[in-house]
Amino acid sequence: MALAPNALCFGDGLPGAGVPCGVELCVEGLRVGPMGPSSLEDQVVAFADMAVEAGGLDHDQLVVSWGSGSSARTVYVKDPALIVAFRRAAPPQLTAHLERAAEQVRRVRHSHRLVWGTVLGILIGLGLLLWFGTDLMVEWAVARIPIEWEQKLGETVHQDFLSKETVLKDGPAVSAVQEMTQRLTEKIPNNPYKFQISVVQSPVVNAFALPGGYVVVFTGLMTKAESGEEVAGVLSHELNHVLQRHGMERMVKMLGLAAVVGILLGDQQGLTGLAKQVGMELVTLKFGRAQETEADVTGIRLLSDARIAPDGMIRFFERLSEKDKERVELFSTHPMSAARAERLKAELAALPKRTPEPFTFQWKTIQDSLGASELKK
Amino acid sequence: MKCEILYPGAFPMVRVYLDANETVKAESGAMVAASPTIDIESKMEGGFLGALSRKMLSGEKFFFQTLRASRGAGEVLLAPTVPGEIVLLELDGVNEYMVQKDGFLAGAEGVKIESKMQSLTRGLLGGEGFFILKIGGTGQLVLNSFGAIHKIELKPNEEYIVDNSHLVAWTSTTTYNIEKASSGWIASLTSGEGLVCRFRGPGVVYIQSRNPGSFGNWIRQFIPVSE
Repeated sequence: MALAPNALCFGDGLPGAGVPCGVELCVEGLRVGPMGPSSLEDQVVAFADMAVEAGGLDHDQLVVSWGSGSSARTVYVKDPALIVAFRRAAPPQLTAHLERAAEQVRRVRHSHRLVWGTVLGILIGLGLLLWFGTDLMVEWAVARIPIEWEQKLGETVHQDFLSKETVLKDGPAVSAVQEMTQRLTEKIPNNPYKFQISVVQSPVVNAFALPGGYVVVFTGLMTKAESGEEVAGVLSHELNHVLQRHGMERMVKMLGLAAVVGILLGDQQGLTGLAKQVGMELVTLKFGRAQETEADVTGIRLLSDARIAPDGMIRFFERLSEKDKERVELFSTHPMSAARAERLKAELAALPKRTPEPFTFQWKTIQDSLGASELKK
Repeated sequence: MKCEILYPGAFPMVRVYLDANETVKAESGAMVAASPTIDIESKMEGGFLGALSRKMLSGEKFFFQTLRASRGAGEVLLAPTVPGEIVLLELDGVNEYMVQKDGFLAGAEGVKIESKMQSLTRGLLGGEGFFILKIGGTGQLVLNSFGAIHKIELKPNEEYIVDNSHLVAWTSTTTYNIEKASSGWIASLTSGEGLVCRFRGPGVVYIQSRNPGSFGNWIRQFIPVSE
């Protein structure tokens, strides 16, 4: 009877790669037949004459051997159905051996799965730790930095920055910003910071906050803003960056990363250099998007508490959003202005309605004092 | 499909004769020349995910190319990238070869190729990476090596020790363990052998006479450094 080849036979006089042969179960044991011309003879191997074990690269093959000396033969069977049938048909004295073999296969597979599972688990765990853990660790570390340290750090950077810029010492613009700041800071409960606001002559439409309560407002922002409330909105946002200690969080994160890199690479010179670089980076600090959103939300609450019309902040972002068209949100640290305006509107709707109190100054006068009419041309 | 090795030695080429509508799978980029009756199809063996996993995991080429004699019988000339011998193997449906990732050159239509994950120790230390190719099915299989290819036949329970970066292919009836070359770690490293594979028969192991990694290190000193 012709069998399809389903096993490989090894032994003296047979090729090293084995001879394909057909193996099937019969009453006495296994019938092994050669496939094609070879020196392997058709034979029936009784259960009593054979030894059985698990073998092959993955221990998933049934290895049946019989005979001794030059007539010793070994058959490797890979077909799972045949292996199962063989285990059912084999007499108990062989089955015990086979069960051991099967157990061995299961153990090997199990240990492989266990090892890979553990490796995968460790990798995922490390990833999650890095993803979520750093924020918690950074917050924990920042909470332990005294405010005085933060103020000293901010002061150094602040002085360094102002030394290269033209600072407005007095005039209507400075008084206006001071009025806004005072109305806002009055409403901050348990304020540990002594805020210091500087107005810098520059066409940049921006304002930024340094750790320790140092806020810089550029005249460019004031000339472009359509009302004092808009500038107050931006100011409230910046004050909240300070209150939430966002600058410190970012610095700890960067220093932490630099420290890890330093430890890994053993580069101590680079470490001090990096600390300096991080300090300077604070000036052009771009806060993370989560921090921006936080400062937006707490900023509009502060505006409402200070009875400054909060829609000025929203209007400012709406006007910014018109310039946003080419920006892609995924790649920016600041959320898209349109989305920010939407979020702020929702936040405003949830706040208790308060009657806004106007500022004592006329916005037009302030802008005129800055030469806004000239700039607008 | 009939294969013939041309110019045996360091710079061989394989001539594959295809009957009308027959196909041969080849490593992408392996085709040197072909009859005008042959069409080249790019095919992702084992589906997109299979091909992707092969590319990402075993470093093998993403696509194998399939050459089909769609307009009548013809021939294809194939050559590997590295200098070295070529060996032809006949798969009978029972035989299965584990092939290190650069060893595959071509195979008949009935040849099945899968990526196989090795155990952690074998993957880390075996020198073939975590993934190797498992090649089974029926038909001719063409493997290539770096340097000459040498066949070791192992009887049941016979053992042989191979330096891990010299492996090309081995049958699935063999087993192997990774070992230090000498009894101590220092001696293992200073002997220049480091880790070796102890193979146990029965089965066949194909090894290459040159180590690609060592050759790379050696040739690096002659490459001019450009700023």
